[in-house]
Order: sequence, then C-alpha cells, then structure tokens
Amino acid sequence: MPKSVYITARRPTLEEMEKSLRIPTARKKELQVLVDKFKDQLSRREETPATAIRPEKRRKRASAA
Amino acid sequence: MPPLPDPNSVFLNVPYDKEFIGLYVAYIVGLCQLNLVPHLASEIPGGDRRLDKIFKLIRSCRYSIHDLSRVEVDVTTATVPRFNMPLELGMTITWQTLHPSRHSWFVLESEPYRLQRSASDLNGTDPNIHNGYAEGVLRELCNIFRRSGVPSVPRMTEVYRFVHGNLDAILYRHGTTNPYDRSVFVELCWLSKTLADLIRMTKPAI
Repeated sequence: MPKSVYITARRPTLEEMEKSLRIPTARKKELQVLVDKFKDQLSRREETPATAIRPEKRRKRASAA
Repeated sequence: MPPLPDPNSVFLNVPYDKEFIGLYVAYIVGLCQLNLVPHLASEIPGGDRRLDKIFKLIRSCRYSIHDLSRVEVDVTTATVPRFNMPLELGMTITWQTLHPSRHSWFVLESEPYRLQRSASDLNGTDPNIHNGYAEGVLRELCNIFRRSGVPSVPRMTEVYRFVHGNLDAILYRHGTTNPYDRSVFVELCWLSKTLADLIRMTKPAI
C-alpha cells in the first residue's frame, strides 16, 4: 500500500457533501448557531494579533528597563 | 464491473467506544479539512446484514482508514479482544487486491511496532502512528492525503477544539450520549466542512 496519496480530484462543495450525507435542512439551521459562534471567535482573534504583547507584560518590560 | 467510487470518499474504520471519542472527532475534522468526505458504517440505513452494509460502503469509497490503536483486550469489563476493525481491514484488503485502482487503504496505530505483534501478517505495511493524540491524527491525515491548499495542522487543531468543545451541545439536541449515531456523525461532518470552508477564507494566525 502507498504511504501517502496525492489527491487531484475536484474538491466537493458543501452542497455535494450535504447530498452525500443526507443531512436534513432543519438540522443545518440549528448548526448555524455554532458556525456563527466560530465566526465570532475568528473575528475576535483577528482583532488581537498573535504577536501583540499584553498590556501587563508591556508594563513589566518597561519597568524592568 | 462495479461503479467507480467517489474520488473524495473515505471509509472510517474506528472503534465505537467512549475512550476513542476525541480521536473520532479528530478524524472527522481532519478529513473535512482535507476536503474529503468521511463515511461510517453506522450511517447506512436499511435492514441489510451489518457486514453487507459495511462491505457496500467500502466498495463505494475510494480510500479507507483503519485505526487499530484499540485492539487490546479491555481488562475492566469482559476480557474479549476486539475483532471488528481487523475484520473490516481484511475485507478491504480483499477488495483492494481484486480492484487495485479503485481503492487505497491506510492503517493507523498509536504505538510504533505494535502492529508487528498484533497483526504480523501485515509486516511490510508501515502504519501511521498518531501517538493517541488528536493532533497526531490530524498530522498523520496530512501525511497520508496530500492536496494543495490544505490548512496547517495548528489551524486544523483550532477547528478540532471548537467542534470537540461543542460536542455535548450536539449530543444534547439529539437526546443521546452516543457520538457514533448516524445523525450526530452527519452533523459533525457538516459542521467540520462548513468551518473548514470558513477558516480557508480567513488569514492564518499561525
């Protein structure tokens, strides 16, 4: 068996996946709440870049100097 | 000649137990992030014999993942070894041998070199070792399935943590404690795929 495969097939769309998995529309609406929660999490993360130094850390650094 | 399998479909042969839930969610999230469609034996409706349903599903999938990390005897309850995963792997190997261009299978384990003892006939097959961690599963899925435009393992882990963290809410809505139920599995797939599409559109933090 190969240790890995390179996939060149076209990526399935969400609609194609829904068709394949036969998910009810009502369920999708309920799950949308979680999707919005994740979106919110992502947007908050974008507002606070990973490189940003927390204010208390910045104050400590300034006093040490 | 059987019909061609869906080129993005992956049959997931995993143990259905409580201790495996974290890795089970990691498989679903990881495969969806790789733009693959996971399939589980429990998702097929109908009154056919279970083994027939599983074989039908294997034949319809282009790839299969066989996690043999929990083949050990459970000492806390009845001391019965778990044969389901090796049995389904055997069926897959037969199918792949008969139709080599239609199916590829991969074995995953948590411990290196254990497969040589638990299934010595598979010597010569290198299993992918995930070390029993969700991050390990995501890493090994990326090692197995190479595809352009795939997010990094830390980004996949971010989605995994979110989905796993909200699993109880999904289970509660279904009135079940079993995440392997068809309806829960389908929702986990849909949520993972939607979040994968979403995260692809945002800039990475790492």
